[in-house]
Parts: sequence; structure tokens; C-alpha cells
Amino acid sequence: MVDVITVLLLSILAGLLGSLVGLGGSLITTPALVALGVPVKYAIAAGMVTIIATSSGSASSYVREKIVNVKAAMFLEMFTIVGAIAGASVTSIVPAKLLYFFFAAFLLTSFVGIGRRGREEVPQAVNQDGLARWLQLEGSYHDKSLGKDVNYKLTRPALGGAGMFVAGIAAGMLGIGAGAFKVSIHELILKMPSKVSTTTSSFIIGMTALAGASVYIFSGLLYLDLAAPMMIGTTLGAFLGGRSLNRIRSSTLHRLFLVVVLLVMVEMLYKGVTA
Amino acid sequence: MRVRGRDLETIISYILTIGVLVSLAVEGVGLGYYATTESLQVDFTSRWQTSGNDFFAYAWGTLLSLGEGATPLSLIALGIVLLMVTPYLRVLASVVYFTVERNPKYALISLFVLSVLTISLKAH
Repeated sequence: MVDVITVLLLSILAGLLGSLVGLGGSLITTPALVALGVPVKYAIAAGMVTIIATSSGSASSYVREKIVNVKAAMFLEMFTIVGAIAGASVTSIVPAKLLYFFFAAFLLTSFVGIGRRGREEVPQAVNQDGLARWLQLEGSYHDKSLGKDVNYKLTRPALGGAGMFVAGIAAGMLGIGAGAFKVSIHELILKMPSKVSTTTSSFIIGMTALAGASVYIFSGLLYLDLAAPMMIGTTLGAFLGGRSLNRIRSSTLHRLFLVVVLLVMVEMLYKGVTA
Repeated sequence: MRVRGRDLETIISYILTIGVLVSLAVEGVGLGYYATTESLQVDFTSRWQTSGNDFFAYAWGTLLSLGEGATPLSLIALGIVLLMVTPYLRVLASVVYFTVERNPKYALISLFVLSVLTISLKAH
């Protein structure tokens, strides 16, 4: 079995790698711990708590800069927290073997992020539907790279809410943020500008994680001596990764991303088959 | 969005930053204390398992146990409690903010989020 120092170092490495390739939270830490012999349900429960720290920490500055759309986040959280509670409850009762396959399948959605690149930064001429207008789903932020204030409007919140419910189930079940999935819903359905979408997703993930953690904390799956070093290590690693992001070429990151996702998928499938 | 000179974004940003930093610091002190007193094996024994079925009672119990003297377990438990309280306070602040701002739609939306979280934290 592992010791606290190993979990801490592994979490720093996973947090660093995760933030470099755009996979946040526990999508790397959980499989890495499983590879060291930690039962998958314990790793998922500790991962869920860890995500509260990583996402809340990274979202705080974007909230202050008013890039996060707080109203859209509050509306979408109604759906994602209910999904997370349902998902975490499922994990508490299903056989661990199934979770390996769900985890591997969910990793496929992280490839959606690649297809997203190169799409327009701010969607133009968005026609708001009635519910979006009623919910006042619009906003503005200062875009430093474009050098101007950007005004935008969102649409189709009901469909977006349904998508966020599904994202919440996946997040709660697997103890992850499901960030790539959430960002896709924001951009493809609600027509959020790219910067608003990624930062609002981080903001929402903290709340989704609390909802999932509310189930895990008393399901008998959360061990504090695993969660504590994982939480400190992943947050520290993500912080270090964020600082070194600009120094690495994006083509190198792209290859690294593919290798990491494939390795993690193969490991989880192997575990699922041999469990 | 501004209430009494402060906007919601600034209030939320303070809550998140302070909550995460304080909980990480407490967790770090707890782990450091643990490292000096015990074997560092993660052996999944029941004393490290969170117990009970009401988060608020667990949080209160953690505070009471700290009053009797800090142990690695009580400090690490406090770090987790503070971390979980952080997004909860963020929603609570939103409910108060939208109520004071007389925005009934978002006061109700944030109240719904707060209620679901409260029920889940109390009932599991």
C-alpha cells in the first residue's frame, strides 16, 4: 500500500501534468493512485474533495476579473449538483469493475477539447431565446488578448441545463471535474465566448465537487490520510503547471496530451478487464 | 452588480481565495504534525474514515475535538471541513446578495442550490 509522501509527490506530478495538458483535477491523479494499488472507489472519493480546492483556487481570480458569468453559473449549478449527487450515490453502490470502464469511456470526452481549438473566440449574432432573456443571460468582460471589452449574449439555457445534469452525473460518479464536457456544453449550446466558458466551468466544478463530496464524506469511501496529501499535492502541481505553461510549445503539449489520455485509458481498461 | 459598494464577484473571490488558502494551510500543518508523530502509511484504517451522517454535526464535532487539543487527525479533518464550507459559503453569499439586490429570480435560483446542498450535507 502507498504512503503519504508517495501520494503527495504523485499528486504534485499529476497536478502539474494535468494543468499542462488541460486535464484538471483528478483525471490523472485517480488512475495514478489506482496503479499504485489504491482501491478505485477510495481514489474517486478523495479526488472529489481535491477538486474543490483546485477549481475554487483557479476560479477565484477569474471571478474577480469578472470573466466568469456568475448568473449563468448559478443557473447551471441547479442541474449539475443534482447530477453529481445522483452520480456519487451510484458509485457508492455499483461494483468497482464497472467504474474502470466508465472512467475509460469518459476520457474520450476530453478529446472534444481538441476539436474546440481554432473555433471563433466570441460567437457573433447570437439570437437569445425567451428563457435566456428572462434569466438575463448576458455579460461583458475585458479581453486582454483582443485588447477590448467583449459583450455577449447566451441562449438555450434549458438544453444547457440538461447537458449539465449529465456532466454532473459523470463528475459525481468518477470524482472528476468533467471540465472538457462542461466547456463543450457552454460553447456549443449556450454560445459562451471561449474565455467565459473555461473560467465559468472552473467556477461550477467547485460546486459540483461539493455536491459529490457531500455523498462521499459519509459513504465510508473517504479516507482523510489519502485526501489530504492528494489535495495539497494536486493544487501545488496545478499551480506550478500554470506558471510554466507559457514556456512550453503548444505542439509538444498536444502530443503530451494524447500520450497521457491514451495511457490512462489503457490502464483503466486493463484494470477493468483484470479486476 | 453592486451592493453597498461591493460587487458579488469581489465578495465571492474573497471567499474562494481565503477558504482555499486557509484549508490548504491547515491541511499542511496537520500533515506536517502527522509526519513527526506517526508512520506515514496510508492503510485505510477506520480512524481516518469520515464518520457520521451529518456534515454540520461532523464539523462541530471536529471543532470540539480541537478544543481538547490538536491532533494530526483533528487538524486534517478541520482542513477538509474548511474546504467543503468554502463553496457552501459562496452560495450563501449569493442568496444574501441577490435578496439585498432585490433580484428574486436569482435569489430563488441560489436558494435552490443552497437547499439541495444543505439537504445532501445533512442527510447522507
